[in-house]
Order: sequence, then structure tokens, then C-alpha cells
Amino acid sequence: MNEPFPLRRIFEGKWTQGAIPLVLLVALLLIIEIAAPGFLTGETVSLLFANTAVLFILATGVTFAILLGGIDLSIQAVASLASVILAQLLPSLGLAAFPVAILSGLAFGTLSGIVHVKLRVPSFVATLATGGVVTGIALWVSDGRAITIEEGGRENTAWINATVVGVPVVVLISAVIGIAAFLALRYTRFGRQAIAVGAGEPAAWAAGINVDRTKIVAFAASGMLAAVAGVVLAARLSSGSPVLANQLLLPAIAAVIVGGTAITGGLGGVARTAVGALIISIVRIGMTFVGVNIFLENMVFGAVLIAAVAITIDRSKIAVIK
Amino acid sequence: MTQTGSGFLTIHTEPLKSVSDIERTTLMTLIPGRIAGLFGGRRWRSLAPLAVLIVLCVLIAIANPNFIELRNLVRVANSAAVPLTLAMGLTFIILMGSIDLSVEGTLSVSAMVVVLLAANDGNGNDYGWWAVLAAIVAGTAMGFVSGLVQTMLRIPSFMATLGMWFIGLGLSVYMLGGSAIRLNDASIRDLALHRFFGMPLAVWVATGAFLLAAVIQYHTKLGRHILAIGGDEDVAKLSGVNVIRVRITAFALAGFFFGIAGVLAAAQLGQSHAVIGDGRLFAAVTAVVVGGTALTGGEGGVVNTLIGVLIVTVLANGMILLGISPYIQQTVQGLMIIAAVALSLDRMRLRIVK
Repeated sequence: MNEPFPLRRIFEGKWTQGAIPLVLLVALLLIIEIAAPGFLTGETVSLLFANTAVLFILATGVTFAILLGGIDLSIQAVASLASVILAQLLPSLGLAAFPVAILSGLAFGTLSGIVHVKLRVPSFVATLATGGVVTGIALWVSDGRAITIEEGGRENTAWINATVVGVPVVVLISAVIGIAAFLALRYTRFGRQAIAVGAGEPAAWAAGINVDRTKIVAFAASGMLAAVAGVVLAARLSSGSPVLANQLLLPAIAAVIVGGTAITGGLGGVARTAVGALIISIVRIGMTFVGVNIFLENMVFGAVLIAAVAITIDRSKIAVIK
Repeated sequence: MTQTGSGFLTIHTEPLKSVSDIERTTLMTLIPGRIAGLFGGRRWRSLAPLAVLIVLCVLIAIANPNFIELRNLVRVANSAAVPLTLAMGLTFIILMGSIDLSVEGTLSVSAMVVVLLAANDGNGNDYGWWAVLAAIVAGTAMGFVSGLVQTMLRIPSFMATLGMWFIGLGLSVYMLGGSAIRLNDASIRDLALHRFFGMPLAVWVATGAFLLAAVIQYHTKLGRHILAIGGDEDVAKLSGVNVIRVRITAFALAGFFFGIAGVLAAAQLGQSHAVIGDGRLFAAVTAVVVGGTALTGGEGGVVNTLIGVLIVTVLANGMILLGISPYIQQTVQGLMIIAAVALSLDRMRLRIVK
């Protein structure tokens, strides 16, 4: 249903979808700066970045899945499990608990990918199912309780909460991850193939791209980054819990979509997700600032998600909207 | 072999599978006698869930004879009430090839409405059964909005309902002020406490929901149209089905069932709180899928879902009887979804899976 209406064409152009979120971000920053002068100082901005870090890392992971035209609904479960593993193992393993926790994410991400691709299960159901599997394991391992990281363990997590030359380490971690993901999508064969698969799977398949492998790698990356986010979150809160990241699924997906990555796949990237994550973060701060009840946050994000999907989706790629 | 074209989801079906034909396939689960005359994997596959249920019951009964005690069977029926009511609604959505992720959001809105309007310890309201009516209306309205969002904004249902999930959750937590509010209305509490022929009233309500859903699916135009849309939306549209209206009605119908489930959940717990819906989406999806309703739509139905709900509930009950940590339940359910979907998906129809 393409109306030959020029204005609509302009707004559906590829460049506007990348530019609108950026304009929105700048506008939001200006509004807050006008409402509360002094917001844009080094200290508050670094705090803003630090508070966005976990969300951004999660959202970067989902970006891979969404770019392929899929979705990963297991990230909050994987992140929570990683936090539980970290909190459980820190006393006995010390710093070695970090790689174990992150590898668990890699493993479950790969599992999601394999279930999705090899068993040919739609990704939202495959990841809903693996998310359930992971949540069950996290509940079982932690006996359903939150685990506090005690004094002894905190020595090993202190470095995450430290700052280097005034920049919080979490910001550095997310910057490194963001840049690595950006480069991986833009300059590696995997990245190009992922975007090709998202843009048109039959064409990618016909061109000889190993679609299955690309998808599994993307879901593995999503799982691993979710685990990294869970580890960082656990270190910041000094606790691990099987429900620690439950509230982050929606904001993470919203960050990707609001940033301008289309759920139909093939269009978008990590840079857009960074903008989207900042927008979500600022909106969250702004809501508290304006006095919107904190319990209404989910409502706002739900509505924002629907609106952003409706704007960014490429309907010409879907024959039947189910 | 190469499938090119604009559609990302290229679906092959037998051309013009008529509605009555689809219905007959579904009814097959009810009439084992007629199966004998037919052959082919699909017929047998439709009986697999029932076989799984029976084997499961026998195994658990052997491992722990307490399972077949009347008291335990009543317990199983009681804990199946809410999932069954939820899954009835979800079945119609999945039959269309869509999904409704807003189960937990809609259920918590409905539970919130009934608790806040009936006698409770949070405010002075006491509207009795009007509160129940309002809760069901609220659930239906949520579903109606999901349907509108999906069809009018033309976005996939999993995204539309993901948004609605959190809108509902946010709304109910906000209205409850983030705390748990007790339901003090004795007559509504009786849904869970009062027994009729040995079963709590909630079980009878859920049975009523099942019968209603069965009538809608097998004996109304709406039910046939839902199946037709799931079988092949383009064909349904060309045959004169008003696809948009059927879709919106189906989502509203699902919301209606979620609303009833919300009332039952509030009555069973005697309160409403922020996490009243936790895990319910998962159980409902597991039940529908394990029962044999295909996620691609057009295949399965409410009878399948009844069996699916019983499988999930019996398994949960059996795990408790066998002393397995209840925490591992979600893991088992997740594996069941994967197994059931992998077995039931008619892969010949799907070239591309997203």
C-alpha cells in the first residue's frame, strides 16, 4: 500500500529514520537544559552515561537480533542469570567468576540461536522459551532469593564502580562494547551478512550467505552482551537476583526501536541504538523530574514502543501482518 | 527451490483449503474412531498431546499414588482454572497465526479493577459483583485496544501486545500504588473458597469458559473466520472475510477471557499486587503450544488447549509430588515449548522463519 504522496515518501526515507532520533535527543537535552540550567555539565552528563551503560549494553545485544528481523525476548533472563552466577561464584572463584558468568550468556544465546534456526521456531517463541529455561535455572541456583555480594566479593567488583581519569569504568566498558559492535557490523563479513539477511533473507540465501550461521552468531552475541550487562548490573548493585534485570527487557527493545532500527530488519545499527538508549534514559530522568509517578514508567515505555514501531516499520517487507 | 518475492514470510498451503475442511481436521482430536480410516502423520500427531497426558498421569501415579487421591485431583483442577481461562483466549489469537504477549498486563489490570472496586482494604468502594463486571469489561477493552493497535497501525501483533503488556502492568501497579491490596468481598472470594459438587466455583467458571470457547470456535461464524485467517489470510480476505473486524474481535475476545482469569486470580489470592501476572504468559503459551495448536495458525483449537493446560498443570503437580524444586518448573515449561513447537511446526509451509 504505497501511496504516491511525496511528503510521506520523504518521511519514510532512510535518512530521516536515522536523523529523527538524533534531533529528538538534542531537543530533549535542550528542554532539560532550559528547565534546569546547569544540567549539561561534565558531572551530570557522566552520571547520565553511567546510568545508561547497562541499558545500552543490553540494547546493543538485541540490536543484532532485530537487525536480522528477529527478536530476543530472553535478554532479561540471561542478564539475571549472569548476575546470580557472579554473586554465587565471586567468593570461591574471585575474578574468574566474570568470564564464567559471561560465558553462560554466550551459551544460552547460542542455544536460542540453534533452537530458532535448526528447529525452525520463530525467534520470539524460541527466545521466550529459552528465557523461561534460563529463569528457571536462575531461580533454582539462587533458591529464589537475591544474593548479596559480601565484603570479600566486593573487592573484585570495585573496579567496575571505579572511575578512570574522571570517567566511570562502566561508561568505558559500554563504549568499548559499542565501538566493537559498531565495527563488527560495519567492517566484518559477519556484520555485512547479518544486514543482508535482515534486508532480504531469500536474496541473502540465494547469494550463498550461510544464513543459519549468521543468525546463530547474532543470537550468541545478544546472549553474551546480555550477560555482560547482568554482570555490570550486579557489580553496581552489589547483588545478584533471578529477577534483577526483569524491568530492562522493555526499555532495551524500546531503545533499539526508538533509535531508528526497524523491527523488519536490515536497517539500523549500534550508533542508532546508542542514541535510542540515551533518549530512553533521559525520558526516564525527565519523568521523575516532571513528577510523573514512577509506577507509570512502564506505561510510557509501552506506548513509546508501539509508536516507534509504527513509525519505523517497513511495511512493504511484510506480506501479511500477523 | 529459491523463493524470491516481496513477502518475507512465504507460506505454502494447499490451495483453497476450505473452512469446513479445516474444521474437520480440528475436530479429529475429538473423534478417535474416525482416525482409523485416515493415514498420514498429521492425524497421529493430533493425538500425541492426549497420549502424552495419559502417559504422564500414569507415570506420576506409579511414582506417587497420592496423585490419584481425590483431594489432589481437586487441587490439580483448581490450579488449572486460571491457566485454562487464559489459554482459551490465547488459543484464538494463536489460531490466527498471531500472538498475544499482553496476557500478564491484561490479567493484572482486570485483577486490579476487581480488587479496587469491590470491598478492599485500600479504599471505601464496595460495588460487589459490579466490580467483577467492570474487571471483565476492562480486560475486553485492553484486548480491543491491542486489536486496534495491531490492525490500524499495521504492526505485528507481538510488538503491539508487548507494548500493551507493559501499559497494562504500569497501569495496574500505578493504581495499586505499588502495594498489595486485599480483596475483602466475601461473595467474590467464594469463587475460590466455596465448593459446588466438590470443586471450587473457579473450576466451574473455567469449565464454562471452555464450553463458551468451544461453542465460539466450532459453531459461530467468528470461529470459522478466525480459523480461515490462520489458514491463509489472503484466501480468507478474497473469500470475503472482513479480516480487520475479525482480528479486532478476536483480540477483544481474548481480552474478555483474560479479564475473567484476572477475577479468578484475584479471588484465589485474595488480593492483587504488582506481580499477580508473573509467569502466566509463559504457562499459557506453553499450554496452547503443547496442546498442538500450531503457531503458524489455522491448526488446532480449544480442545487441544484443554489437553495442553492439563499437561502443564499435571506436570507441575507431579513435580511437587516427586519433590522436584518448583523453581525448575519454568525450565521444564520452556523445554516443552521448544519440543512441542519443533514437533508440530509444519515445516513444509515455512520457507523462512524469523
